[in-house]
Amino acid sequence: MNAVPQPQAQTESRVLVCDGNEAAAWAVALARVDMVAVYPITPQSSLVEYLAKFVADGRLNAEIVDVEGEHSVLSVLQGAALAGARTYTGTCGPGLAFMFEPYLRTPGLRLPIVMSIVTRDTLTPQSVWGGHQDAMSVRETGWIQLYCESVQEVLDTTIMAYRIAEHRNVMLPVNVCHDGNYLSFGAARVELPAPAEVDRFLPPPAVHWHAALDPERPMAVDPLTGGAGGPGPAMFVRYRKGHCAAMQNALSVIESVHADWHRIIGRRHPALVEPYRMEGADFALVTIGSMSGAAKDAVDAARERGLAVGLVRVKTYRPFPVQALVRALDGVRAIGVVDRSVSFGWNCGPLYQDVLTALQSAAARPATLSFIGGLAGADLTIGHFERAIALTRAQAREGRSGGVIWLNEEDR
Amino acid sequence: MPAYNTIAFRPELCNGCGDCMRTCAEVKTGSADSANARIQISADGDTLALALCRQCGDPKCVANCPAAALDKRLADGVIAWDGSKCVNCLLCTVGCAYGGIVYNAAAQHVVKCDTCAGDPACVRVCSTGALRYLTTARIYNEVGDLEDLFAPGLSGCQGCNTELVMRHALRRIGPDTVLATPPGCIPGMGSVGYNGQTGTKVPVFHPLLTNTASMLTGIRRQYRRLGRKVHAVALAGDGGAADVGFQSLSGAAERGEEILFICVDNEGYMNTGMQRSSCTPFGAWTSTTPVGERGRGKTQHAKNLPVIMMMHNCEYVATASTGFMEDLYAKLDRALAASERGFAYLHIYSPCTTGWRFPSQDNIEVARKAVESDFVLLWEFTPAAGLQLTRDVSHPVSISEYLRVLGKFRHLDDAEVHEIEAAVERNRQFITGLAQGQHPAMARLAADRADDTGARS
Amino acid sequence: MAQPVRYLLVGASHAALSALQAIRMHDPDGSLTMITRDDALPYSPTVLPYVVSGRSQPARVALKDESWLASQRVELRRGRTVTAVDTTDCSVRLDDGSVLGWEKLLLATGADPIVPQVPGLAGVKFHVLRRLTDAVALRDAVAGTREAIVLGAGLIGMHAAENLVKAGVGVTIVEMQPRVLAGYFDAEASALIETTFTDAGVCLRLGRRAAAVAAAGERIQVRLDDDSELVADLLLVATGVTPVLDYLAGSGIATDRGVLVDDCMRTSAAGVWAAGDVAQARDFYAADPGARIINGILPDAVEQGRVAGQSMAGDPGLRPYEGGVPLNTYTYFDQQAVSVGRQDCGATVRSEAGAGRYLRIVMDADRLTGIFGINSPFDPGVMWEIIQRRIDLGPVRAAFLADPQRAARGVMSRTWR
Repeated sequence: MNAVPQPQAQTESRVLVCDGNEAAAWAVALARVDMVAVYPITPQSSLVEYLAKFVADGRLNAEIVDVEGEHSVLSVLQGAALAGARTYTGTCGPGLAFMFEPYLRTPGLRLPIVMSIVTRDTLTPQSVWGGHQDAMSVRETGWIQLYCESVQEVLDTTIMAYRIAEHRNVMLPVNVCHDGNYLSFGAARVELPAPAEVDRFLPPPAVHWHAALDPERPMAVDPLTGGAGGPGPAMFVRYRKGHCAAMQNALSVIESVHADWHRIIGRRHPALVEPYRMEGADFALVTIGSMSGAAKDAVDAARERGLAVGLVRVKTYRPFPVQALVRALDGVRAIGVVDRSVSFGWNCGPLYQDVLTALQSAAARPATLSFIGGLAGADLTIGHFERAIALTRAQAREGRSGGVIWLNEEDR
Repeated sequence: MPAYNTIAFRPELCNGCGDCMRTCAEVKTGSADSANARIQISADGDTLALALCRQCGDPKCVANCPAAALDKRLADGVIAWDGSKCVNCLLCTVGCAYGGIVYNAAAQHVVKCDTCAGDPACVRVCSTGALRYLTTARIYNEVGDLEDLFAPGLSGCQGCNTELVMRHALRRIGPDTVLATPPGCIPGMGSVGYNGQTGTKVPVFHPLLTNTASMLTGIRRQYRRLGRKVHAVALAGDGGAADVGFQSLSGAAERGEEILFICVDNEGYMNTGMQRSSCTPFGAWTSTTPVGERGRGKTQHAKNLPVIMMMHNCEYVATASTGFMEDLYAKLDRALAASERGFAYLHIYSPCTTGWRFPSQDNIEVARKAVESDFVLLWEFTPAAGLQLTRDVSHPVSISEYLRVLGKFRHLDDAEVHEIEAAVERNRQFITGLAQGQHPAMARLAADRADDTGARS
Repeated sequence: MAQPVRYLLVGASHAALSALQAIRMHDPDGSLTMITRDDALPYSPTVLPYVVSGRSQPARVALKDESWLASQRVELRRGRTVTAVDTTDCSVRLDDGSVLGWEKLLLATGADPIVPQVPGLAGVKFHVLRRLTDAVALRDAVAGTREAIVLGAGLIGMHAAENLVKAGVGVTIVEMQPRVLAGYFDAEASALIETTFTDAGVCLRLGRRAAAVAAAGERIQVRLDDDSELVADLLLVATGVTPVLDYLAGSGIATDRGVLVDDCMRTSAAGVWAAGDVAQARDFYAADPGARIINGILPDAVEQGRVAGQSMAGDPGLRPYEGGVPLNTYTYFDQQAVSVGRQDCGATVRSEAGAGRYLRIVMDADRLTGIFGINSPFDPGVMWEIIQRRIDLGPVRAAFLADPQRAARGVMSRTWR
């Protein structure tokens, strides 16, 4: 592991070269988080090492809790959040699996916890490398999930995540997902915003969450609710519907937060989806995460060759931006969706499933094709995307849908 | 009405020396003629009988007095006799079923114990501990006016010991507390409430069964960060502490989190239908270790969780029982104080009338027998003082006297009872050894080695 | 009629006070009024002989003072007598004509002296001893008295006789029974007591009754049924007491010699209880649970009051009355006589007398039914408990007969310590 650079006392924005894990740690410092709970796991480990170092160096004024496992990581943060703290952690793969019990509960408690998932493929086969299978496996648990493409976006999104999570109309936990290996360890030029600017963007947490544990205003958090008869069933429905409403509210909040980030910090990131070279596109790829860089290069090259291909990157995956996606894909005859994970029951990629569902509200019915690649650390190169473009184009011509292409199947 | 201190007698410790009577007579009459003592201990066969004023709460001697010469004093609870009003009618002696107020020929009037103004001479001279001046009433007087921080009407089983523990504990810990009650009897009886209503007057929450100590870690650390003094307290069952909740418990203890973790040990998952936990003792019937054609109850001995917690070198670890409330309160105080500095673990044995199958009115008696038989031992640990027994373990009553009260052990045969007796004895030696700073097994090992050497030379 | 009180207690001695305390254990707030015919604060009739002797000061015999009554939220109406009880509209009428409503009523009006139908008695000044005013009058009368006649050798008569003789008065006791304290002690004990009194100079006229009474100047002349004549300065009538029932006429409340009550001290009328000397309640010894007696002793009044109070307040901890056991203590000339239980419900298993001591133990098989002693050390309260619990003394019979105090304390330690 590289030695952690000693950050200078920073007052202005500055440029540094770092990987995604360090970028996330810088974001946590800039977000003035109260409490961080850590447990190391590949490929997240250097992230929590940076955090520990920042705390040790006085760079980050937070309680750091070195717990005995991911289950406690999130449990500590739940307690802290219920006492009004701004909290952070990160995990992935088996760590996320072990964390699942408190993980499942966090959105129901409406706690604005921000947690990076440094995405990793799931066991088995035994694997320590990147892939979206971990994050995708928890896509229906009620957390907000944002997928980053670049190291800069990791840093900026991690800070923005607090504004989203803590918004009165949202009050939900956020996963900022960045790809194991490719973003976690890939170094890039990063602009670090000035702390004062970040403070202007992100004020101290307002304790307006509905659930809190404070002797000055005693309440019971999470009484038994439900059952048949009495007020329970209707009350339970009210909680569930409130959660759904918050998820939908998050779509506009995510957009306005990204707009604020542009206004205050001066950098623009796509909020929900990023249309790329979609002007006059006849067909398009849909991508998610760091693969989008290589995919954009392949699209550029195809456009050079005269192919009317575009790309839509999904940034906000939960809540799923149905309207934004449909609007971005309006007019294409074929769509190739590239997933870095598998939906086993459907035998396609999970993003592909979501795109299919979203298209139900589209006027036209384009042809679709599912690509799965980049599993367990496999690289998705320009070559892989050229193949995807070619197959999607063929699909557009033939006007038929279906089938799954495993992009790394032929890798040698 | 306040509660009062009282003189208690344990005949099993009395050696009949008579010092108490001679001293009482000396103090009250100036001569050591035992006949004039206000305390009389007499032998009737194997029974040592104590005739002494019990300073009853609703004294019949006072009600029977036609001359207003007897009065239950509110200040100290002593039934005071006023010689200037007494008419020697002896009706008081008719009211007393304890031989506590009797006509004394030398004095020519009735005499009775006045507790020597709160420092009874008889207790002071008792060398065996048979006479004790119980100050249990102190607890009531100190906490009786404190608010019960649980709502009335929690739906525990009849005679529930855990409810007793909860109410006593939280009353003492006070309102500046965040309370965690993981799934089990405690929230099951309504402490966290149902459908939007709470059963507790301090902030309370359901952690998962698994993460109580971790959630409290976050709460306590955040309040410390904010500069606010808020107790982080768990009232957990043995399942949530010793089994699935053990990892987070161990982690928090190792980190020295400033938490008071109270484990209410009813030896199983009683809330959900009496299933086995790792704290269930050997031989016990549970719904997952049933007794049948081949089943004989649990086939392993209980995990000794408090000892395991002690090995985390916590700021404070203790075991307690509702059969010994004064001890429990003292430990609760020390545990609460220790939880301001580090991890404090209090293990309270809590007999379960429903799950252990015994009559609901016998709960405290069962709790007491468990301790008196050494089935459970009362001790405390601090890093500085090590393990100290807080109750003598050298004169236990027989284990079978404890076991036979409990339906969950009713099927045991002699061999199984012996197995339990042996385990209790091993544990007694183990803990006693720790209390003496020396593990007995180590001592035996050393002795064996010495024997070997001797044989060879 | 004003708002009815929740609890109305008629009477203010042991039974009523005991009921009051039991009520307040369960219901600290319910409105409660206590009515006494006396102007004094609550006192015990039992203390009156000691007022006569001067040992007790009338100002210091109050069982409860004003501040205690206030602390129990009791309204005490003194100097008022209930003249009628209406169980239909739940009210009582007082001697001042006022009417007081109640939700629950306790009759604890005690007993009044029986004045025998002796010709001429009504025409002379004589004393009785039941109320504090009686005691003060008797005490004041002793000063100018050289000779006194006491009719009745019960506890009141004997106590008074002792006081009088100690004051230097020549005393004659007239008793129609052949011995003193016949209702309390057996013949042997009575004989011991008689000896003590005779030695002190008291003249005992046993087996005699007064046939006629007449004034003889300032003095009083009493002719007995053997035609002998006694003359004295003071006449005390102490021929027993009888429950105060006159105010119940027409109330519909069932009475026999006293007010009939069940084991919760409930009378035949809903919402009405009775306890103490006015009540006729279960007999501990009777085979028939319906048999009713007037026990008329202080400890039993306390017990009945407790039962009544618990029952009135609806206390679920109520333990029903188990029946009256005779219990008497009697101190005379520094001698202590104690009787617990009955002499006639079993066989005498030990009896010894002599040297100023006396002890008799009566058992029914292995159950104690009575124990009686003079200057004999045993714990009466422990014996009462043994009788009431019907404890099988078979295993300790020999030890019990040899040393009842020691053995009984052993039983206590094994059974209810």
